[in-house]
This record gives sequence, C-alpha cells and structure tokens, in this order.
Amino acid sequence: MKLTKPSLFGVAVAVVVAVAIALLPLTMSDYHDSTGADVAVFFIAILALNIVTGYTGQISIGHGAFMAVGGYTTAILTHNHGWNDLATLPLAALVGFAFGVLVGLPALRFHGVYLALTTFAVALAVPQVAKNYPKFTGGTEGLALPTHSGVWLYRTTWIVAGIVFVLAWLLLRGRTGRAFRSVRDSEIAASSSGVTLSLYKTLAFGVSAAFAGVAGSLYVLVNNFVNPDVFGLTLSLYILIGAVVGGLGSLWGVLVGAAFVQLLPIGLTTTHISSSQSVPVIFGAVVIAVMALLPLGAANLLGTFLHFGSQMGQSSDVPLGTEGR
Amino acid sequence: MTRRLNGALALAVLVLAAVVVSAAFAASSATPGVTSKTITIGGTFPLTGPAALYGVIPKAEAAYFAYVNASGGVNHRQIVFKYYDDGYNPANTVPLTKKLVEQDHVFAVYGSLGTAPTLATRDYLNKAGVPQVLVATGDSYWGAQYKKYPWTIGFQPDYPGESRIYGQFIHNKVPQAKIGVLMQDDAYGQNYYNGLVAGLGADKSKIVDVEKYDATATDVTQQVVKLKAAGANVFALFALPTQTITALVVATKIGWQPTTFINNVSSSPLFMGLAQKSGANVQGDISATYVNDVWNNPNTATAKLYKSIIAKYDSGADPLDANVLYGVASAWTAVQALKAAGANPTRQSFMTALTNMNEVNPFLYPGIKMVTTPTERFPIDQQILEQYKGTAWQPFGHIFSKAR
Amino acid sequence: MATASLTQRGTAFRPTTSWIVPALIAVGCVFLVIGSLRSSLFAQQTISGLANGGIYASLAVALVLIYRATEVINFAQGALATFTTYVAWQLIDWGLTYWLAFVCTLGIAFVGGFLVQLVAIRPVERRGNQLTVVIASIGLLILVEGLVGWIWGNEIKFMPAPFPSHIYRVGGVSFSRQDIATIAISIASVVLLRLLFQFTKLGLAMRASAVRPDAARLVGIRVSWMLSLGWGLAAVLGAVAGMMAAASPSVLLQPSMMDGILIYAFAAAVLGGLESAAGAVIGALAIGVTLNLLGAYVSWVTPQLLLPAAFVLMLVVLLVKPSGLFGRTRVRRV
Repeated sequence: MKLTKPSLFGVAVAVVVAVAIALLPLTMSDYHDSTGADVAVFFIAILALNIVTGYTGQISIGHGAFMAVGGYTTAILTHNHGWNDLATLPLAALVGFAFGVLVGLPALRFHGVYLALTTFAVALAVPQVAKNYPKFTGGTEGLALPTHSGVWLYRTTWIVAGIVFVLAWLLLRGRTGRAFRSVRDSEIAASSSGVTLSLYKTLAFGVSAAFAGVAGSLYVLVNNFVNPDVFGLTLSLYILIGAVVGGLGSLWGVLVGAAFVQLLPIGLTTTHISSSQSVPVIFGAVVIAVMALLPLGAANLLGTFLHFGSQMGQSSDVPLGTEGR
Repeated sequence: MTRRLNGALALAVLVLAAVVVSAAFAASSATPGVTSKTITIGGTFPLTGPAALYGVIPKAEAAYFAYVNASGGVNHRQIVFKYYDDGYNPANTVPLTKKLVEQDHVFAVYGSLGTAPTLATRDYLNKAGVPQVLVATGDSYWGAQYKKYPWTIGFQPDYPGESRIYGQFIHNKVPQAKIGVLMQDDAYGQNYYNGLVAGLGADKSKIVDVEKYDATATDVTQQVVKLKAAGANVFALFALPTQTITALVVATKIGWQPTTFINNVSSSPLFMGLAQKSGANVQGDISATYVNDVWNNPNTATAKLYKSIIAKYDSGADPLDANVLYGVASAWTAVQALKAAGANPTRQSFMTALTNMNEVNPFLYPGIKMVTTPTERFPIDQQILEQYKGTAWQPFGHIFSKAR
Repeated sequence: MATASLTQRGTAFRPTTSWIVPALIAVGCVFLVIGSLRSSLFAQQTISGLANGGIYASLAVALVLIYRATEVINFAQGALATFTTYVAWQLIDWGLTYWLAFVCTLGIAFVGGFLVQLVAIRPVERRGNQLTVVIASIGLLILVEGLVGWIWGNEIKFMPAPFPSHIYRVGGVSFSRQDIATIAISIASVVLLRLLFQFTKLGLAMRASAVRPDAARLVGIRVSWMLSLGWGLAAVLGAVAGMMAAASPSVLLQPSMMDGILIYAFAAAVLGGLESAAGAVIGALAIGVTLNLLGAYVSWVTPQLLLPAAFVLMLVVLLVKPSGLFGRTRVRRV
C-alpha cells in the first residue's frame, strides 16, 4: 500500500470506517462487542505480520509466538504483581520488540522456506517454554485475569488498534518503509543501494513483534485468561491466513483479513450447518477458494472495485523460493 | 469522480446496514433460557483437536435429553441443549461461552469440559450470575472454592481423591511395593501424584522413580523403559487415554509386568480393549470407577434403558466407551436438578437444587449416592476399585466414601 | 504477471564440502554403539529412538518428495496421510485383509493426491504465488483433518498391525518387527525416489517441471501433469507413513494422529536438506534418537522442552549449513 501521500479520498474512507467502528457498539450486545474486540486484536496482529512479510518479504508462520510473549508479559505482571492491565501494554511492546530482534538476528541467515520453517519452530517452542515454568505462567492451568465489559474491551482494543495503525503508517511512509520494500523486492539491489540489510530486516522483525506483543496482551485481556493452548500453532496459521486473504501490504486488507479469520469460524461453529464437525471442512474449503479466486487478497478486489488506482493491492510478491540462501 | 463517490456511498450504506442489522439482533429476554415450553442450557466441548475423543460426551448428554423430551420433558418444558466446539482452547471457550449467555440466553452453562476452559470462564459466569454446573473435569477447584465461586459446581470424583484410594490400596495390600509413576508434567498429573502420596502415607518412600511426559508427546517409551530399569513392580499410570494405551503396550513389549494402576479417565473399557488388541497384557490391572457396570450386568433395568437411549438417540456411539455412560449419568443429574428447581425455575433455585442433593443416580454404581450440601459441594465422592479380568473390568471390594 | 520468484536467472549450485557431514554422522554412530554396548538401558533408549525416528522419516520423505516435485511446503501432508490411513481402516472394516487394503489404499492415495492437486492446488498456483499455495495447503490441512472427524468420528479406533506383534529381545533390548519394517520401508522409499529422480526420464521431467516450469514447457513436458503426479506419489508415501505410524504402539488412530509427527517430520526434512530424501531419513533418525537420549539422561531437558529441542537441533544444523545436511547451497548471481 502506498502510504506515502494519502489521497483525500483515502482519508475520507478511513474516517467513515473509523466512525462506523466507533458507533457499532451502541447497537450491539455485549457479546458482539467482545467479538469486535477480537477482530481488533487480529487487526493488530495481521498488521504486525504485514510489516515483516508484506513489507520486507520475510515469511513468518510464528507470530503467535510474539503474541504469546506480549500476552504472558501482561498476564504475569497483572496476575502475579498486581499491575493495572492496561499499563502493561507498553512493556509488552518492549518485550515483544526484544524478542523479535532475538528471532530476527539468526533469521538473517535464512530465506524463503527455511525462514518460514524457522518461525514455525519458534511458534511451537514458545508455548512449550511457557509450560515449563508454571510458577510464573500458571502452566497448563494458566492465569485468570480480571474481566471487563464487552464495551470496554471493544473501545480499548480499537483505540489501541488505531494507535498502532497510525504508528505503522508513520514508520512505513518514510525512509524505513522504502527500505523495507526494497529489501522485499530485491535484496541485492537494496544492498547495493546502501540499505543495510541486517539492520532493516531485524528492525522489521522487532517492530512487527512489538505490535504482535501488543495484540497478544489485548488477546489475553479480551479472554481474561492465558495458557499455552491460547497461543498454539493454530493462532499463527490464522494470522497468516488473515494476512494473505486480506491482501499483503494493504490496509483494507488487514481489516477484511481480521474479520475473515475471526468471524467466519465462530460464525460457522454457532450456525450448526449440518453438524459442528463440518466447520473445519467449510472453513478450509473457503480458504482454498479464496486463494484460488483472489490470490492477491480481498484488497485487490476492493481496489479494482472502488477504483483506487494502480496503487492498491500491490502485487504481494513474497519470494518463498530457495534462491539467495 | 462520481464513480468514487458512488463507491464511498456504497461503503457507507453497507456499514450502516450492518449497524441496523446488528441492532435488530440485540434481543432481550426476561427469564434467561426459560420459556413456557422450553428451557435452554448450553456448554462447550472439544469436538475437534487432540481432545476430541471426549466429544462423545455431549452427544450422549444430548441423547439423554432427547429421551427426556420424548417422555414429556422437565416440568412440561422441552430441554434445548446447545453445545459448541472450543477445541480445548480457552481462547475459543471464552467467546463461545459469552455467546451462550448473551446470544443464546442459556439458563445455565452445563457440563463444560476441561480444567483450563472452565477456569477461563469461571470469573465471567460467576460475575454474571450464570450457573456453571456439572463441569466435566476432576479438579478439586469446583468443590473447594465455592465460597468465591458460588455458581460453579463439579460432577465427577476429583483426581486426588481417586489416586488416594490407589495409595491406600498399595499401602494395605502390596507389601513389597516399588512404585514407578508415569504422570503428565502439569497440574493434571500433579493432582494424581499428590493423591497417591497422601494415600501411601508412610509408604511414600516406596516410590522409586517418577517419569513425566508432555501432553503433546505421542510416545512415552523412553519413560516406561526407565521405570522398568528402576526396578519398579508397581506402575502408577496417571495419563491421558492416548499415552495410557501406549504405555500399556510398551510395558508389555519390553517385558515389564508390574501391578498397574490406571486412572479412571483413561481406563474406559474401550481403551483397555484397544490396548489389548495392540498387544498389551492388561490382566490384573487396577482402576477405580463410579459408573454403573452395564458391561457385566447387561440385563438390569438400567443397562437396558441405557442401551435403548443410545440406540435411539446416539446410534454412532461405541457401547464400550465409558465416556458415553458418563454423559448419560451427568445429564440425568442435570434433569433431576432442573426438576427440583421447581415449576418456575430460576438460576438460584437450580443452584439450590444442585447444592442440596440426596439422590441415587441409576447410571452410577449401585450403592453410590450423590449427596451435596451448601458447604459440601462434591456431587460424587465415592468410588469402587475394579480389576481387569479377561476382557472386562470386575469391581471388587467396598465402596470408598469421601474419596477426596 | 509477476511470477513466483523461486528461481531467478543465473542460479547455480556450489559444490558442498562433502566430507564433514558423513564424518559427523559416523562419529554419532560410534557414540551410540559404544554407549549401547556399555549399558543396555542406553541401548534400549537408542533403539526406541530409532523406532520413533523411523515414523518421522516415512512422513519426512513424503515432504521432501512434494518439495522436490512441486517446490511447495505442504502443510497438509500429515492430514492427507491420516485420511488415507482411515481409508485403509475402512477397507479392513469392510472385510479386506490387511495387505489387500494396504495396496488398495496406495492406489486410492495416488488418485486422491493427484485429484487434490488438480482441484485445490492448481487453481491457486495458476494465478497466485508461492505464499498463496502455502496458505492453500494450510486450508487443505484444516479441511482434511475436519473431514476425517466428520466422516469417521473422533473416537480412537483400532488399526490392525501388518506384522503380528513379534518382539525381538537381544541382550536386554526389546524391539518389534514393526520397528524394523518402518525403518526399512523409509530407506526403501529413499532408494526408490533416488532411482526415480536420477535414472528415469519421468523423474527428470518432474524435476524440470518444479524448478524451471517455463523451460520444461518449451521442451514439451506437460508441466501441470507432472505436478499432479508429484502430489500423487507424495500421497502414496504419506499413506505408507500413516499406516506405519498407526501400526506402532505410540500412535493411535484418531484424526489428530499425525499432528505431532508432522512437526518432527518437518524438522527432519529441513535438517536433512529439503531436497534430499536420504537427508530427511538421517535427520529423522537423528531427531528420534537425540530426543530419547536427552529425555532419558539430561534432567534439565524436561518433557516440555523436547519439542523445542528438536528445533534447536534443526537450527544449529541450519546455522552451520543453511541448506541442511545434504541440501545443496544455491548461489544467486546478480
């Protein structure tokens, strides 16, 4: 998404959507508010993934792990040390950033498939480590946190989502964003133009993990509970699905993607089409269908429909191949 | 320019439509879950994922409710039972439970399965004054922490109580015991271990080796090999069904024949049969039970009723699966309490019924009584030991009371 | 249209330092042999570890095959293996003998894999890129695992074993005929794959279709059929893996049965080099043995840390050899 110069139209639409999001809770039940809060959480997580995968082309199937790091930070501080839960968010972002850099550094050695599988490994390892220290993390029985009303959760998560979006926009509109995109498009060209690959790739991981950590904190607040199963592999896979279904590198895409992975499964689960066993079958089939029909994501479709011009729905050409290792 | 304006208008209209539509669904109800014709209860269960083998339980419960409905229902109301798949992930349990309460307007959250999922929703439900009843987990929290969480109550005997019986048995009847323990490396396993130690008393030192496994591990060969090498002649096997079957088969494979104690959750005749077919020698293995022995007494009224209910309303169920019988027993309890809650049940009257029980549940082992008081909130706390002979469990000895 | 940039013009292969890896493996083997001779407990843990590794290996080979033939990491490989194992179970339940069901299942698996590629993957590949295919494979994973539960239910079922439970006891160490069979079959599939890819025209066509589809089309290869063929063959290998796994005491027939194995199979395939079937088998055996020994002898490696340990092993190997033990380093020319 070309975020450099916001067209008047783009801003107008953004304002309409923001207002709609702000007004929705007035007519929704508490349950729908919580669901909306979940969508906000995924919005942040998918936005985070976009930074590392859509912008610098580093595949990550491990964002659940970054969410876990942030989520557990919040849970431990709130449950064990009595912090106010919102106050833990900045710290969760910081811890996430540190962990992201920690992962990003060795990840410099890997590309494509190998990078993807490394992040896959991280996604699996983090919940196991959480299980290993039950005194802090509550182990499999987890930690219960104070509950909040649906409206509070909705407002808080969407306000944070808005802040994260603005921060991401500011980061990506300038030199950093250009550097990120040049890394994705051609590492060799970028490097020969003076872009320090290691700095920007690691930075991308760090920032992405920071945002994902915030998403994780909010996820824990929305569910008022944390345990390793909350951050399993499924979460990482769903974030990736959401990012690609939405369209890598697109704002509207992030919103669509978040709605898709959050609302569709739960919608299917509770609608009892034939039997609850059919839910994964339908969801899986829909994912495949979306990939076949809209390979560049919903954003591409929206872009052509609303004639945003050639900038929307940028070809998300993320190299998964084995070259450049 | 007009095209863009059109596009923006279309978007705005869509959004407004969504707002209006969602407003239409913001329904409200006077008495949650109770109408003149129906009473609605709901729960969350793992229907997919690694814990999906417990998915037979809600189906069995639904079968019993269907049977009750066919016989007129409870106080002339038909029971509507809604259950959703949470995949054993608390991040799913919480929104699904909220949905049950706020959208489906259930009278009570019934039978939800799993310790972590139940812990995740306990605060929310208690705050909202929604009964969280007959939860399908053997942790002691539900009965022990009722002062803080008065709307929550469990059902089955708790794990420490069960393993205490094994400990007592070893203490009394197995003089030269050298005990090897295989347990899950978390609170679930720790529960059993603590009970075992409590039951052993002075014989605690007879535990020669404790091996642990992670719930995600499929193979426990390494641990069983070590237990054999430690010289254990008693095997305390406190695991989930999958790892239990594996452990039994591996023990036989490496030529180890200890006196084996299997926890109730994993000793269903179905699992024992699977272990046997896979080559395990399970003769003489010991476990504990609290459900009716329909397998050895197929001609009792209870067994016939059970079979007919399952045949009619849950025909896909495996009759050897003790979890199916568990579901029916649990559902019976729910129906009894709904009846006792009166002609115009309220959530409070329902909880009062559940905390003042003195019932003989036909689907439980004869002699076991379900007794609760407002301060004694473990519906079932009696069990009887059983030993595996041939192809079935044979209960023996007396009923242990206050198995806690 | 921007093509998936998996290979660019001017990719070449740098010859690897060929003696280090075999030497390391030899050292490892010597260590295991000495340990086994000194302690029968060590020997038992090693043998059991090899048995586990055999199961991971059979699935890892399927992953390698699909990667070599289609340049796709197929997250659904385990789920497809589970599905075909259930098909075998169903055939046996309907009265076929084990071996007849086995052979029929292989045939069904081939056709099934072929069709899956045709119906689910090809439409995605046509307009998408590598990442969309990966997402499609994740969707396939969710779909197939759900389908198994939907059709057959979630209760644990009994799967008969091919070899009646025959246990060998050698010097205090027990292992079963099944353990040997699983490892033997994995090795056999490696050999067969090598024969296919190195010595047959078909194998050459498949490799060409995966690596240089445009050039392959120019010389008349029906690329899309080659890709479907790759999926079919991989499905066959997966079916074998599933049935070998179900025959072992550690794996019970339930919809989630291959989930854990898939993870270790991925680690093994990557560790061995995604393009080397032999590497995958060695990697899998190494992981099986290492985890068993770590769990048995190193107390601070708690049960929870075993899964991360497998990946630490994989990462250590990758950091030293980024293309895996037997992978070939690709050099990108500007």
